[in-house]
Amino acid sequence: MTSPPPAIAAQNLTLTLGSGQAAVEILRGIDLEVPQGQALALLGPSGSGKSSLMAVLSGLERATSGTLSVAGENFSGMDEDALARARRGRIGIVLQAFHLLPTMTALENVATPMELAGMPDAASCARAELEAVGLGHRMTHYPAQLSGGEQQRVAIARAIAPRPVLVFADEPTGNLDTATGHDIIDLLFARHAEAGATLLIVTHDHELAARCGRVITLADGRIASDSGT
Amino acid sequence: MTGVGSFSPSRLREGSGEGLLSEPRSTRPPPTPPAGGRGALPWSTAWRIARRDLSARFRGLRLLLVCLFLGTGALAAIGTLTGSIESELAARGASILGGDIEAEVWQRGATAQEASAFSALGKVSSGTRMQAMATAGPQADECAAPIALKAVDASYPLVGKLRLQDGRAVGAPPPGSLWLAEGAAERLGVAPGDTVKIGGQPLTLGGIVAEEPDALSEGFALGAVAIVRDDFPARAGLTAPGAMYRTKLRVALRPGIDPAAAVQQLQARFPDAGLRLRTRDKAAPGAERFIENMGQFLVLVGLAALAIAGIGIGGGVASYLDARRASIATLKVLGASSGDIARIYLLQIAAAALAGSVAGLAAGVLVTPLLASALGKLLPVSAGLVLDPAALPRAAAYGLLVAMVFAAPPLLRARQFPAMALMRSRVAPLALPFRAMLVPVGLGLAAIVGLALASAADMRLTAGFLVSTAALLILLAGLGGAIRRLTARLPRPENPLLRIALVNLYRPGAQTGALVTALGFGLSAFVLLAVIETSLSANIARKVPARAPDYFVLDVPRDRLAEFEQAVHQTVPGAAIRAVPALRGAILAYGPAERMTRVADLKAIPENAWALRGERGLTYADEVPEGNSLTEGQWWAKGYTGVPLVSVDEKLEDALGLKLGDSITISLLGVERTAKIASFRRIDWDSMGFNYVLVFSPNAIQDAPHNLAATIDIPPGAPKAGLLRRLVRAFPASSVIETGALLRDARALLSQMSVAILAAASVTVLAGIAVLLGAIAAARASRLYDTVILRVLGASRGQLLALQVAEYGLLVAMLAGVALALGSGIGWLVIVKLFEFDWLPDWREVFAVLGAGLALVLGFALAGSLPLLRAKPAQALRDL
Repeated sequence: MTSPPPAIAAQNLTLTLGSGQAAVEILRGIDLEVPQGQALALLGPSGSGKSSLMAVLSGLERATSGTLSVAGENFSGMDEDALARARRGRIGIVLQAFHLLPTMTALENVATPMELAGMPDAASCARAELEAVGLGHRMTHYPAQLSGGEQQRVAIARAIAPRPVLVFADEPTGNLDTATGHDIIDLLFARHAEAGATLLIVTHDHELAARCGRVITLADGRIASDSGT
Repeated sequence: MTGVGSFSPSRLREGSGEGLLSEPRSTRPPPTPPAGGRGALPWSTAWRIARRDLSARFRGLRLLLVCLFLGTGALAAIGTLTGSIESELAARGASILGGDIEAEVWQRGATAQEASAFSALGKVSSGTRMQAMATAGPQADECAAPIALKAVDASYPLVGKLRLQDGRAVGAPPPGSLWLAEGAAERLGVAPGDTVKIGGQPLTLGGIVAEEPDALSEGFALGAVAIVRDDFPARAGLTAPGAMYRTKLRVALRPGIDPAAAVQQLQARFPDAGLRLRTRDKAAPGAERFIENMGQFLVLVGLAALAIAGIGIGGGVASYLDARRASIATLKVLGASSGDIARIYLLQIAAAALAGSVAGLAAGVLVTPLLASALGKLLPVSAGLVLDPAALPRAAAYGLLVAMVFAAPPLLRARQFPAMALMRSRVAPLALPFRAMLVPVGLGLAAIVGLALASAADMRLTAGFLVSTAALLILLAGLGGAIRRLTARLPRPENPLLRIALVNLYRPGAQTGALVTALGFGLSAFVLLAVIETSLSANIARKVPARAPDYFVLDVPRDRLAEFEQAVHQTVPGAAIRAVPALRGAILAYGPAERMTRVADLKAIPENAWALRGERGLTYADEVPEGNSLTEGQWWAKGYTGVPLVSVDEKLEDALGLKLGDSITISLLGVERTAKIASFRRIDWDSMGFNYVLVFSPNAIQDAPHNLAATIDIPPGAPKAGLLRRLVRAFPASSVIETGALLRDARALLSQMSVAILAAASVTVLAGIAVLLGAIAAARASRLYDTVILRVLGASRGQLLALQVAEYGLLVAMLAGVALALGSGIGWLVIVKLFEFDWLPDWREVFAVLGAGLALVLGFALAGSLPLLRAKPAQALRDL
């Protein structure tokens, strides 16, 4: 029996922003392979390139060079729209500032990615996921009517509900107080375990990183250490 | 729901997350794999997402809504008004014409054959129309007024009701009496029961006309109507051979006879009788043409307003989408492609556009009665409210197309907004997608131009207007950009408030260019209308009287010319008299003698060949008429007796392709006469005397019975009191028209039309104000920031208000300059180059109109900025 393909396979990824004299090298030759179902933390100081690496791996940003395969899709050479379509239903993203759609209720926020992916039972799945993150009583509330912790739970439900194969979380507790942050991380791991997805968390927090099966530390756009190797 | 995780919501509330991992896991199966998840988002899903994101009150899209409301509202009101009037004219066709068909012939009555042919078709009413003079009062203080004399038989009116002010519905007046229009009664100072003389014959005023059913079909006349019995003109000697009168025969057709078929039959039977035949569906072609032209003009004004509203639409959509950058990026993070983003926001914009357009259509229809009452006497009929099935969809189509043209660029730019914007504060500025814009903007513009041209009464005029409007908008946009650059280069004032006010005009995101374009158009139109109206009015008041004769006299008997001249010279010594023979006839055929073209055979009258329509004034002369010059050929010798000759206006020569030696056949009093073209002439129409397209050699037509028409020029300063009274008394069958009164009427009409056009142009200023308010709303966040910082630094509300006044005062001052330069520049071209009049604007009135427009703009700008002054620094700083 052959082993399943990796969730992420990246070779010699680089990312350069700007051009000419203003060009800044953000990522400098990243080689990375993440097996399916793994929980991985990306650690590193500010400006080390960890958020940019997450953006490239999740298809939000196109690498300047290198090859990248995510969830069996070859991301190299895809344009922005193809990357957006590739994310549909397969990649969930949780961001530090929640980024819920302010004009939509919690339920609608969670249903939207499934609707974009053309899933027929988006509303009932969203309802179930909100129940699962403990927000069954907040379904018709708008983001402005929710606390920061509740908003991040909605964001987690939104990322998990389509049952993605990969979940990315960029500083998911960065905008929350410590106690709420702990709750959110517990919830994220719980939903990750339930969904069986690969989880990649970008964080400054060593304690949080320690909860992941593998920790990669970035420095100056390069992998400085990898606990998985 | 089965299979859903059994977390207790209460345990999961914020701060109570312990034990989360120990809870049972959801057993919800993975969702069904996406069906077509890689393709474009279906419209239904796009609409579901769009609807959620769309505020029920269209928050953020209200500028789009207001702009479309104004634009489509104006067009709907215009369309409904013209449609209502046209349908009123059509519905009342028989009443307006006074029958199902009408025949008109000059200077003669109907022949026995003609009369019997008409009688065979149905019930006939006949009568005569002519210009005449009415007098009243004691001989020493007699009042005289020109009247439109209408002699009717006992069958009048065949259709409709003639009503008097005392409420009676009447027909022809009893023998020895007349019905008089209010204007004439006032001018003569008479009331029912008083005596009025026409052609020297006394009549008793039986009543004042309140409603004349066929007034619209009677055409232009100098003076108000006087209705008498059909035998009166002959008794008063007003229809003597050569007198200028028209006989009218109207027929109420027997059931089953089609008016068009009846007219065709009469034309075939009497092809060269000079009969002008009309059917009830073309009862008032002049009024119809006026309404068509007015409607066309107003539609063009509405379109201009819509184009300005388009600037607001573009700005409104751009700021709406800018405010949604985070949502757009989030949707992209969630898997939406740029095409999906375009669909979602297109649906939102379309929903708002539709709502604005529908509200505009409803408002447009509802204000139509107000518009009708504002236009008042300019309209030929008082119209009810009739929905024109074509006008409303057309207005909506214009609105939606303009929305498409102006909303497409910001929408296409927004679809490029990257998902990464959520993670990085700086993203590369988005370029305007020119290529992608070409299709929707190009198609939209082409559809607008196509729709405007397809529904145009005059394609050339419409095309010219569209091109001029586009050029003006581009020019204004250029001026706006130049002003922005210029203010950036000005030295910064020392006064901090003035400095900030100046900087606000060119800071990043400043809408100066759009505002100069949007407001400059309407204000320039204000100035343009004011300079044209005041210049025309001043020309009429000062210049025309200097050029035009003081009196026109019609129907001077040719055997009494010496007596006429003597009467004038005895009353006003030194008065200049010019008398010319006056006949009427229709051109029947033209061209080389061996193959002449019959006018009756033409499918359409060639352009500029208006002289072929119906009967025209004809004259004969021994010498080239004053103010005319030969361009080709030779004038005949005095006393010429050879082949009848004619001299033709060079414009008719061009229109018909005539050559020297060609022939022209006319119908004169029902008799055909042919003359050879001996020369072509250039006519100086500005000479304002009698000018004729065809001037014959005397031997061609002088044997026909006719009278003379004369002009009288009074030397400057000479008293002319008593001349009118003396002429009316001595020549009762002649009509003496005072130019001064005509000019007063013309100026009053011009002023009334000017007010109506100014009201129409106000829509463009309103659209500009909507753009201004939109720009203020779009800049509110950055302005609030400025205001709060200034408040923190100690600025008082008064100082902040002064800052707003200074900023918008600067804008208004620049707009004043732009409007004055453009409006008066274009006005000068129109007055001096197009009309060839003197440049005589009344600057006081021009500045008053412009000042009113600017005050309106400044008022709205300050009112729109007032909420900023109420901002509480502490609260605002928390929210910022």
